[in-house]
Amino acid sequence: MAEHLRSRIVAMLKVAMPLAALAILSTLFLLSRGREPGTTLPFADVDIEALLREPRLTAPTHVGVTADGASLRLTADAARPDTAAPGSGTVVRPRLLVDTPDGRRSELTAGEARISAGEELLLLSGGVHLDNSLGYGLDTEALTAALDRTRLESLGPVAGVAPGGTISAGRMELRRTDAAGPYVLVFTGGVKLLYQPPT
Amino acid sequence: QGIDFNGLQHDSTQPIEITAERLEVSQTDGTALFSGEVLVVQGEARMTAGSLRVTYATDSRRIDRMEATGGVTFVTPTDAAEAQGAVYAVPAGELVMTGEVLLTQGRSAIAGDRLVVDLDAGTGRVEGRVRTVLQPRDGTGRD
Repeated sequence: MAEHLRSRIVAMLKVAMPLAALAILSTLFLLSRGREPGTTLPFADVDIEALLREPRLTAPTHVGVTADGASLRLTADAARPDTAAPGSGTVVRPRLLVDTPDGRRSELTAGEARISAGEELLLLSGGVHLDNSLGYGLDTEALTAALDRTRLESLGPVAGVAPGGTISAGRMELRRTDAAGPYVLVFTGGVKLLYQPPT
Repeated sequence: QGIDFNGLQHDSTQPIEITAERLEVSQTDGTALFSGEVLVVQGEARMTAGSLRVTYATDSRRIDRMEATGGVTFVTPTDAAEAQGAVYAVPAGELVMTGEVLLTQGRSAIAGDRLVVDLDAGTGRVEGRVRTVLQPRDGTGRD
């Protein structure tokens, strides 16, 4: 008698189990949100931790305004919060747009960006490229970008193109000279500019 | 006083290399201010200065003008000039040096207030209180 009961249960399970699996699978796809390209999530203030608290976002976007009036826009392929240090994490293939009030734009791309809790600073690394609308296209290994005010600082040498030629220097920095002053791209540690006049 | 820079085959479309310790570029108009042992090399001509302001054309790709200050020297294979400041109108290939100008060519030296050089033509002139300074035969120093 027991065998009969057991085999009936097994037979019934053989049918029920796959059906349950199918049900679970279908709901999985039903519930997951698709990836809407280009939609921006309006973060009002410079709150980077919010970006990290949303690990599920496939294209995290962070918008903020610095004290000197520049607008920052950080998008990335993915955000990986650091479970050991809440509020910190790594952002994968970040793209940072810095639009300064003088109408210029700096666009930075990198392999990744490290965000540390409480620090209004982004450490871009893994090969950073900076395009400045003045006509400079610079490459460097790593660079810090402040989030509370406009300040980009390469950690090492930079090299790339300049208007009408090429440029290389020991270090590079983009900041505002003072509250009302111009924004300046400062190259230090020895600079070499090669300019080819139009022939 | 007319001067010949015969030793200079200059072409103002040759590449220009500028080296310095520091460069600050204003985002407002792209003006570039080099400072600290500035050296400008174009073909056989070399200019050194304390600082150099480079102004770009409004489309900000072409250099229009370079203004050197803080003691300037301009050296070609055969001549050397020094002054307080200089302005190089790059497309025109014209260099104007001003302020206690002293041009030495071989054993003769000419002092004046201004030296205007047409680099491409290889000609120039010294203006203002022009004084020719002849080195003594053994060239020990300017008398």
